[in-house]
Amino acid sequence: MPTQRFFALTAACLGLALSTADGAELLPAPAGLDAGEIARRSEDTMRSQRTIMDAEMKVISPRLAAPRVVRFQSWEDRDEDRSFIRILSPAKDAGTGFLKLHPNLWMFIPRVERTIRIPPSMMLGSWMGSDFTNDDLVKESSTLDDYDHRLLGIDPAPEGHSELSAYVIEYIPHEDAPVVWGKIVAWIEKEYGTPLRQDFYDEDGALLRRMDFSDIRIQGTRHMPHLWSMVPLDKEGHKTSITIERIVFDAEIDPSTFSKRNLRKARR
Amino acid sequence: MPLEWRLAWRNVWRNPRRTGLTVAATAFAVSLVVFSAALSTGMWDKIIDDSVRMASGHVTLTGPDYLRERTLEQFTHFDGPLIAQLDEDPDVKGFAPRLSAFGLLSEGEATRGVMLLGLDPQREESVSSLPKRVKSGRFLESGRKGEIVLGGRLADVLGVEVGDEVLLYSIAYSLESAYDLFRVAGIMGLPDPELDRGLALISLADAQDFFVYGDRVSEVAILAQDTAESGDLTEALRATFDPSRTEVHPWQEMMPDLAQTVVIDKVGMYIMLGILVVVVGFGIFNTILMAVLERKREFGVVLALGLRPRVIFRIVYVESVLLTGVGLVVGLLITLPLVLYLQANPVPTDNPEVLVAFEMVGADPVIAAKLRAANPFFSALTILGVALIAAFYPAIRASLGKPVDVLRSL
Repeated sequence: MPTQRFFALTAACLGLALSTADGAELLPAPAGLDAGEIARRSEDTMRSQRTIMDAEMKVISPRLAAPRVVRFQSWEDRDEDRSFIRILSPAKDAGTGFLKLHPNLWMFIPRVERTIRIPPSMMLGSWMGSDFTNDDLVKESSTLDDYDHRLLGIDPAPEGHSELSAYVIEYIPHEDAPVVWGKIVAWIEKEYGTPLRQDFYDEDGALLRRMDFSDIRIQGTRHMPHLWSMVPLDKEGHKTSITIERIVFDAEIDPSTFSKRNLRKARR
Repeated sequence: MPLEWRLAWRNVWRNPRRTGLTVAATAFAVSLVVFSAALSTGMWDKIIDDSVRMASGHVTLTGPDYLRERTLEQFTHFDGPLIAQLDEDPDVKGFAPRLSAFGLLSEGEATRGVMLLGLDPQREESVSSLPKRVKSGRFLESGRKGEIVLGGRLADVLGVEVGDEVLLYSIAYSLESAYDLFRVAGIMGLPDPELDRGLALISLADAQDFFVYGDRVSEVAILAQDTAESGDLTEALRATFDPSRTEVHPWQEMMPDLAQTVVIDKVGMYIMLGILVVVVGFGIFNTILMAVLERKREFGVVLALGLRPRVIFRIVYVESVLLTGVGLVVGLLITLPLVLYLQANPVPTDNPEVLVAFEMVGADPVIAAKLRAANPFFSALTILGVALIAAFYPAIRASLGKPVDVLRSL
């Protein structure tokens, strides 16, 4: 429908105006840069073939007097597309486990000793009450394989990181990709490929949520953000941040970690 | 005046066959109009009634923005003053509080996302048909904890029977994980396949515990005494609530698709009936015009004798009113008992097309009539109005004749 297209176009223009208004004008990028390569570097900064992570998640909501704090440990095996998460606290959720063996996601609840396979229709449901979705968790879609990348320009002073300068890259999903976003716009630090910000748009071009990365620490060759904040823009007063307490790249992980048997082994 | 009426009455019956045919046409028209309208009202009232009993009542109280967002964040309260107010309202037949949320139901390898309703088993009896839909086991009972009632297809998919335990998982209002085992107390057979596949019921008390929801509820479903008056009830209730705390919605807002279907169907029906009435109008026009033309000589004579044209105009008009009136009376005498009988004794139907249509909206497939006082009244008035318009030209024609011309033309 023409009107629909018109609105989408208008919304897209507004979206574009937003992203430039945020961090001043974008500078044109030099020719010959491969946007896909920049996206890959950013992905490689955040992940390795096998990664172990301890983290604390803090959920802020108008419903809550005090933030909900969830601590968890995660194991990820990028080669095999599998991962495992164990909740450490709060007490009610301690021992709850999530096991992703592509394309399935299971959850184990120790108190009732039951395993649930989370159906695809619930992939966009909230993970543990946070502003992250189950899909964020299991990364059903790949930011590298399922998107086309386009370099929009260079932001010489990204918001919150004015001392850095960043490539601004637009991720447009392939038509048949299992992606829920209309597009993603990412700020990626020029020198080390550190992700600084990701804006998630719906199919009509409206900005739905924003993830900010900060507390960048140098770990080996990586410049790795240790604080990730997710703000859903359609829900006022909501925010979820994940603080990385410990992260081990290229770790040794026992393959039995990624088993349903391990899932049911609650360490409370 | 009595003389004019007497004359007109005699004139009407001067040609009994023609008059009989016109009376029959008028009677047929008014019958068809009254009957169609009653049948349509009956059918839609039934569908609307059954639908609101499967959904949120004729009128629904919700928290602000609930219709748009439908999350736990939009809530209202079901408290003492509200209960007292609804108890005292004579237009309210029943009301029930509900908590509505999404959850995951799991048993063995099977997991399904479901719409979960927490409800007060006792109050629900007076508002919804859900308790009557239980086909095995029983409905929820007040005071019993940890019980769940499932749609039939949902139970099949999960592979559970009455007495089995299922795991319910969701996110509580407090954003904690919420999970508990529930025992299947009953399994329903719901006509709407989507509900049958995705609806699960637990008690309101259990739901408020499960979702850490305090005394909040998602909606209060209210059943009106009469479907036709639910609009008035909505307005009356709306005036008594603070819209920043409690919104009042008629069923048309809760079920916009159904409301639209009703309107489209009724418009179509009225167009058809309108065409019918116009055709009958031409019939009356024809009869009166013929009656006037063949009495040219008679009118010439009485005009020559000094009768004023106005009186002739009036006589012709009275004739057409009598002609139409007789038709209306005959038509109504035939139709009204039939309609009232059908209203008291709905006829189940097994027409497959009708069955499908009823199943889609979740209503029992019966053909029912519902007569509103306005129906025969307005039907008769419309046809009478058309007759009066039709009689205008013949009446003018009769009264405007010049006696000399008329007599000469003989």
